[in-house]
Amino acid sequence: MIQPRYRTLILVFGLCLAIAATFFFGYRAGRTARHARWQNEPVRAWMSVPFIAHTHHTSEDVLFQAIGVPPDPHDHRPVRDIARAKKLPPADLVRELQDAIGKVSPAGKTP
Amino acid sequence: MNDQVLAAVARYGSPALFAIVAIAAVGVPLPITLLLIVTGSLAAQGAMNVWTAIAVATAGSVAGDQIGYAVGRWGGRALIARFNGLLGGPERVRELDQRARSWGGTGIFFSRWLVAPLGPWINFASGAAEYPWLRFTLWDFVGEAFGAALFIFLGLIFSDRVQETGAALGDTSWAIVGVLAAAFLGWKLFSRKTK
Repeated sequence: MIQPRYRTLILVFGLCLAIAATFFFGYRAGRTARHARWQNEPVRAWMSVPFIAHTHHTSEDVLFQAIGVPPDPHDHRPVRDIARAKKLPPADLVRELQDAIGKVSPAGKTP
Repeated sequence: MNDQVLAAVARYGSPALFAIVAIAAVGVPLPITLLLIVTGSLAAQGAMNVWTAIAVATAGSVAGDQIGYAVGRWGGRALIARFNGLLGGPERVRELDQRARSWGGTGIFFSRWLVAPLGPWINFASGAAEYPWLRFTLWDFVGEAFGAALFIFLGLIFSDRVQETGAALGDTSWAIVGVLAAAFLGWKLFSRKTK
């Protein structure tokens, strides 16, 4: 059995930890929310071209053309699968898409 | 793994959504909050119907939760009997059982969406404590439907900011857990002092 004195110490330690976690996560949530207002969504390999076009308010035709794929609004393949079909590293296609987004709206460069 | 899960829903829609949320409900750690936000974004793009998405996500989660409950119900008792001494003896186990029953409904509801990582453990514990199946299913359904609707609608509203929304929500829910833990521990300390 744990002695009462140690039990109190454990409770105090737990309380300090909970308060620290609240401030840490609260601060991080606020910072992320502030960033979201001025930063564009990062392009990820799991996203499809129509998805990227939507999140960057860009025409999907422009993005399809930028990576050399015939425009098709029903093509929901992730960038990773398109890269595999083209035998290219996904990072290359992500970079090409980011460049194309930057050209269409220079202010909207992705991180 | 996370990328594959998100890509599967973006590509295959509802069937993938059902399978992934069911697997996560059993206890496999998958980014379900972000997945539901992405689903909302897909609905905003017209790739999925929002109501179908909510129904599918709820059904998948409830199906997975039932597996966790069943495992607890038919395997949990044997496990508890084995580790009876470690838990403080039969009296203590009975007390924990009673506490699990009295807090059951609220715990089940909030662990579906607010502290989702606890969900699979609550399912197992509810089964092991022989919490009534019908009441478990009812609270489970209400919690899962609420959570699915909340995150999918957030994805619908912030459809061009899914990753940032997911990250902010994840941190917010942990901050809420911190507040609840601090309140609980503070109350425990206060009641010890006043004894």
